[in-house]
Amino acid sequence: MIPNDSATLQHFDPRAKLILVLSISSLAVAFNHPIVLLPLSAVTFLAARFFGVQILRAMSSIRRLLWVFVAMGMIQSVFTPGGEAVLAVGGISLVSTVGLVRGVSIILRIVVIVVSAAIMTTANPRDIVQGLSQWRIPYEITFMVAVVLRFLPLMREEAEDTLTALQLRGVRLETLPLRTKIRIYRHLLYPLIANVLSRAEKMSISVEMRGFRAYPQRTSHRNLVFSPRDYGVIATSILIVMGVLLPYYWNWLPTS
Amino acid sequence: MMETLLCASGLGFRFRPGAPPLFDEVDLALQPGQVTAIIGPSGSGKTTLCHCLSGIIPLLRGGETWGSVTIKGKPVDQMRIPEIARNLGMVSQDPEAGLFFPVVEDEVAFGPENLCLEPPVIRARIDEALGNVGITDLRLRNPHRLSGGEKQLVATASVLSLHPEILILDEALSQLDGRGRWMMERLILRLRATGKAILMVTHDPNHLDVADHTFILSNGRLSPFHGDWAAFPAGPEGAC
Ligand SMILES: Nc1ncnc2c1ncn2[C@@H]1O[C@H](COP(=O)(O)OP(=O)(O)OP(=O)(O)O)[C@@H](O)[C@H]1O
Ligand SMILES: [Mg+2]
Repeated sequence: MIPNDSATLQHFDPRAKLILVLSISSLAVAFNHPIVLLPLSAVTFLAARFFGVQILRAMSSIRRLLWVFVAMGMIQSVFTPGGEAVLAVGGISLVSTVGLVRGVSIILRIVVIVVSAAIMTTANPRDIVQGLSQWRIPYEITFMVAVVLRFLPLMREEAEDTLTALQLRGVRLETLPLRTKIRIYRHLLYPLIANVLSRAEKMSISVEMRGFRAYPQRTSHRNLVFSPRDYGVIATSILIVMGVLLPYYWNWLPTS
Repeated sequence: MMETLLCASGLGFRFRPGAPPLFDEVDLALQPGQVTAIIGPSGSGKTTLCHCLSGIIPLLRGGETWGSVTIKGKPVDQMRIPEIARNLGMVSQDPEAGLFFPVVEDEVAFGPENLCLEPPVIRARIDEALGNVGITDLRLRNPHRLSGGEKQLVATASVLSLHPEILILDEALSQLDGRGRWMMERLILRLRATGKAILMVTHDPNHLDVADHTFILSNGRLSPFHGDWAAFPAGPEGAC
């Protein structure tokens, strides 16, 4: 999540990206019909490609969860009656059209939210913080956002280090039975938490000793301004929202 | 004589009530324009002493202290951390843990921004601090991808930009190469000339050249050190 030193795409204002991501994901939450979600996911994938998101990596980070949602979608499509039978065994409808639509919606919704959220990871954390404070959000809150952005990759690193250490000792996690695996993960968790807490303490000492919270305000040596391309991103977000809301108000969308 | 900037007297510390004290009866005065060095074997409590002198203990961390520490005549336990931060800067032994931002210049700007300085002043302070430790070319780099020594320099610059009158360096030169040490030693002498009070913890006898006074912390006592390495518990090598 630490930005590349060279990526030119970071020169978009994170606030513009945030507007786009919020527009897309609130549409995905508000509308649960594939007629909206299908084009919306197409748009999301396009946007993600445009901002240089590694889509496969974003998806793989929720790989395990994804199966849960696929399973949920399947269960929904099996147990929701109504519509015509898509798959029937001996006259009993197993998968109905309504059920299928529901199942597909659930999966699409998650995909849209995850992929659009991944767009935010292409923003430079310091720009996110800077942008938010220019929106007059109190610095203590923006700083909390920064702490989360700083510590998430750190926790991943720590976890990977501990796992590597295990593997170096010849432990092959994949081959172990689930119970042993869970036990090992539990043992990993304690040093992980201890490490992160100790780093958090050192971090807070360093931050406080440099005068954090000395005054209710802070100044900044940088200033973000929207450029034409940022307005382009914002205009696109408005178009996307309109593209869904207008048909909705004109009752062109099927109610589900 | 000039005003003492930082004064500790009869200072003692233990991690929890009932435990043996880590150190006791520590007397130390930091004067403007003087460099004080503290040496001592690993685990003798140098870092903990720095924390007590800078108010981190008891204001931010636990432990039991007694005796007194004053900064410009004011007891630290009656001060707030931001007030201390305006007078005292501390470069910690583990610089990596204190680095927060993904760009060096933001790290250095953080302190002055907290003090609400105007943006042009902050930018001048960034230039000055980076120039002082000789890392102007690292300005836009990611601190987490720098070497250990470079991280120490970034951490030092991010404290220098606050213009503290009292500077505590807890082994801030330990990972530097020859050029880095040379820059830092020159910097320490320059700061001394401008009337700052500097306390440096070190393991390296060579650094004692820049010190006006040297103390040794060992067996829980702080005593003057006169270059007598034979009296050093583990010998000079053991100290490194
Ligand atoms: N939270 C704690 N509780 C109990 N003991 C601690 C705690 N933190 C540190 N210690 C112990 O206190 C002693 C002094 O630690 P300190 O870090 O001050 O030593 P130091 O002189 O700075 O050593 P070094 O030269 O290695 O930096 C060590 O023996 C350490 O194990
Ligand atoms: Mg130490």
